[in-house]
Amino acid sequence: MPKRFDQARPFLTLGLLVAAWLIIPTVFKVFTRASFFELTAPIGVAASYARDLQEFWTLRLHSNSELIEAGRDLARLNASYDLAVQQNTEMQGEIARLEGILRLPSYTGFRSEHARVVRRDFSGWWQRLTIRKGKNYNLVVGAPVVFSGGVVGRISEVFAYTATVDLISSQTVRLAAVVEGDTRPISYQGGLNPTFGSAGGVLEFVPLDIFASANSTKRLVTSGLGGVFPPGLTIGAVIKVEPSTDGLFKSGEVKIDDRLAALTEVTVLIPISSQ
Amino acid sequence: MLRPILIFLSTLLLWALAAQLNHALAPWRVYVFLGSLAITLPALTFSLRPGLLASFLGGLVFDAEAPIPFGTHALLFALTHVVVFNLRDRVPRDDTLSRVVIALFANLGLFLVFSFTQVARSPAPASLWPRLFADLACSQLVLALIAPWFFALQTRALALVTEETNPSRYA
Repeated sequence: MPKRFDQARPFLTLGLLVAAWLIIPTVFKVFTRASFFELTAPIGVAASYARDLQEFWTLRLHSNSELIEAGRDLARLNASYDLAVQQNTEMQGEIARLEGILRLPSYTGFRSEHARVVRRDFSGWWQRLTIRKGKNYNLVVGAPVVFSGGVVGRISEVFAYTATVDLISSQTVRLAAVVEGDTRPISYQGGLNPTFGSAGGVLEFVPLDIFASANSTKRLVTSGLGGVFPPGLTIGAVIKVEPSTDGLFKSGEVKIDDRLAALTEVTVLIPISSQ
Repeated sequence: MLRPILIFLSTLLLWALAAQLNHALAPWRVYVFLGSLAITLPALTFSLRPGLLASFLGGLVFDAEAPIPFGTHALLFALTHVVVFNLRDRVPRDDTLSRVVIALFANLGLFLVFSFTQVARSPAPASLWPRLFADLACSQLVLALIAPWFFALQTRALALVTEETNPSRYA
């Protein structure tokens, strides 16, 4: 066999492999991907259970007096939350009455499903979380995910007993937002994730009369448009707006809550209509 | 067939360890990519087809959880495997140091090519590169630290199914 052909043989084999991969039916690729995902999923889930156990034994080291203090603080919090729940129920009744009188379409209802974080995958290319609930809890693709600080992201894939969440800091997430107190929608997209810094996103189509700076931030919230996220959930703080090149709008930057990078538990809002 | 499976299992272990490391590093927004470790030893010591199969399967492990077209990592790993395979007769490949250096160059290439495929999706590509270069520096550092251990692990695992302990005879 000529030496030149011998040197090209690996590339010829690679070419055949690429050609074979390109003509393989999509169904086969989807099945293979799901198989590989389910093969790797138990590794992450087992590690997350091990972390939970580690945390449990760490908490067991706390003294009784510390637990009593924590219990007292929790009782106070519960009392204030009880009051908030009563007020919330009354306000929901008021909204239902007004919707009936004015014949307005009602907001989508959501069921909350709490889930532990299995794995954080925060590269420069994408920002994702894997959570420890999936089809076994009727999670659906596109469901919003929130935490006490606001929006976490939305579910992008659901597997047998895990699901992946695209974070709002990921460049794959784009949604309609509004500045608190304003009703005009703004385009938000994640994608600013500096090393050792706070995650963020970029804003486009900001009205010209909105001003914000690092010293005078504005709260950015979900608009409710698009029907995925309920309105009023915090996305982040607008830290910069400047006129865009077309002169018709402004563009800007948003700083996202730093707690997003260290979450251990999130809440999935599952639209009741999807069940 | 057993040797590619052993390489695949070691890649699975590597992926799991890297995933846990990245989980821990997430609050600092640092990410480590160690893909080239999965292809270096098979590319340097296996014959073409078993080595290519092991690298391709290793790539599919990396693809399984990534939000990219399935097979992207696998095809990039296969390409890197073929390049290293073609060069292996011209470089020293039996000592650990040279293997680490080859793994570092392969990782650099994989990281940059993969970054170029992803950077177009960013709303601010210029601001993405400093982060990617920081990740690349951390990846190379971690790779240089764990590569000798990982190659030793793979060599020991392969020695279990090979009578000859000379790594160049694994093929």
